[in-house]
Amino acid sequence: MEVLTGWWDDYLWGAVIVAKVFAASLLLMVLFGLIGAAAKLSDNRVAQKIANGYTVIFRGTPEILVILLLYFGSAIVLTAIAQVFDPDIRFVDVPPFWAGTIAIALIVGSYATETFRGAFLGVKPGSIEAARALGMSPLQTFIYIRIPEMWRIALPPFGNHMLSLVKDTALISIIGLNETLFVAKQAITVTGKPFTMYIVVGIIYLGFSSLITLSVMGIEKFGNRTTVGAR
Amino acid sequence: MTDDNSRPLIQMVKVDKFFGSFQALRNIDLEVQKGERIVICGPSGSGKSTLIRCINRLEKHNAGEIIIDGIELTDKVEDIDAVRREVGMVFQNFNLFPHMTIVKNLMIAQQLVRKTSKDESRKLAMRYLERVKIPEQADKYPIQLSGGQQQRVAIARALCMEPEIILFDEPTSALDPEMINEVLDVMVDLAKEGMTMICVTHEMGFARSVADRIIFMDEGEIVEQAEPAAFFDNPKSERTRAFLDQILSH
Ligand SMILES: Nc1ncnc2c1ncn2[C@@H]1O[C@H](COP(=O)(O)OP(=O)(O)OP(=O)(O)O)[C@@H](O)[C@H]1O
Ligand SMILES: [Mg+2]
Repeated sequence: MEVLTGWWDDYLWGAVIVAKVFAASLLLMVLFGLIGAAAKLSDNRVAQKIANGYTVIFRGTPEILVILLLYFGSAIVLTAIAQVFDPDIRFVDVPPFWAGTIAIALIVGSYATETFRGAFLGVKPGSIEAARALGMSPLQTFIYIRIPEMWRIALPPFGNHMLSLVKDTALISIIGLNETLFVAKQAITVTGKPFTMYIVVGIIYLGFSSLITLSVMGIEKFGNRTTVGAR
Repeated sequence: MTDDNSRPLIQMVKVDKFFGSFQALRNIDLEVQKGERIVICGPSGSGKSTLIRCINRLEKHNAGEIIIDGIELTDKVEDIDAVRREVGMVFQNFNLFPHMTIVKNLMIAQQLVRKTSKDESRKLAMRYLERVKIPEQADKYPIQLSGGQQQRVAIARALCMEPEIILFDEPTSALDPEMINEVLDVMVDLAKEGMTMICVTHEMGFARSVADRIIFMDEGEIVEQAEPAAFFDNPKSERTRAFLDQILSH
């Protein structure tokens, strides 16, 4: 334990960064997932094609590669754009936080696209028809009938998506994000104790994922009070 | 809408309905007067559900006219909404909203569609739950009720909108035999009170005692319609006779 003295605060800040990446990527992931699902469910052929391309590419490429390509790719593009305005600029640095956050949100968002689409289609048509027959408008039906049934269907896979986001945060260390794994690597070069340093990282990530799992279980229980729990 | 008593409440004139190239309704002519009780029967796939679903625009007809209480059904959203306010529907599988309590199931459309206050809609909901004899289930969820109870809730939910007409699509055919009567009893009560009803059912006892007119459909057509006595004892069409032989022999 003594070898850890002096590293605690670095780990703490690493953990804060994990939490920040998680929060930002969660929002973006939901956004990408909703847009993707809406496009796939729409009648618009072009939108469908784009959404299909999106899910095929991001589900079929190694995650670490997506992070690297997005980081260096966006740097090249931004540099080119910046040079239009100021030819003296050599290189624009993309913050690893944002490149990484957007990358993992895009990856997990492609899975969320399928989850949201499945949940939309999983709502029983009977409920929807009953609402329409009662005179509820399409918007009222969507808000009061479809969404409450949808989130219950989507929640279990959505919990897995949140776990993916947290775990993928560790991958962003490869482009220099100073989250806990990055801290551990620095600590190892100084102390020469890889096992201890990596175990700390493991414990921190396990803490995050336990928190997520417990929250999802709580929400699921709340949602199921009307079905399984009510029996 | 108006008090012109001679005008039928439902008027279908030469209605056709296609699903792709498949014709589900052929040249349907049907008039229903206020207070009339109609039973529709016929083999599976004959278009019974499609016919009544056209009346509240759950299906869109392709040709002909459908006029409900003076409102013609077209693509005009306001007209469709107006018709749906006048027409209630009860489904084979009840179609209650699973995430809402029973009383909420009865309140939601009152609040959203008729803009009734929360208190008022709860009062009306409880009144109709008493009429279908299950007020004590108000705060349960649909899955906690038996099929017969769920179907009675579905009828109460339709009644809460105070419709002029109620459509029933095989309301008892998803029920265990011992629950059929509790639902039919509610429907008989409604008929006695003068509700205009169109009922797709194979409950021939109900049809004989309640219906003013029985309609037999086959392959998308109305083959025969008659009063119950004439329909059962003296069917004109060969197809009707074959159908009756088959279901009455069970
Ligand atoms: N949405 C649809 N798309 C394609 N075909 C349909 C659709 N709905 C109904 N049909 C077809 O139209 C025909 C009439 O269907 P309908 O449901 O009205 O029959 P039904 O008389 O109510 O039969 P059942 O007694 O089985 O309920 C059937 O051949 C059915 O397969
Ligand atoms: Mg049917």
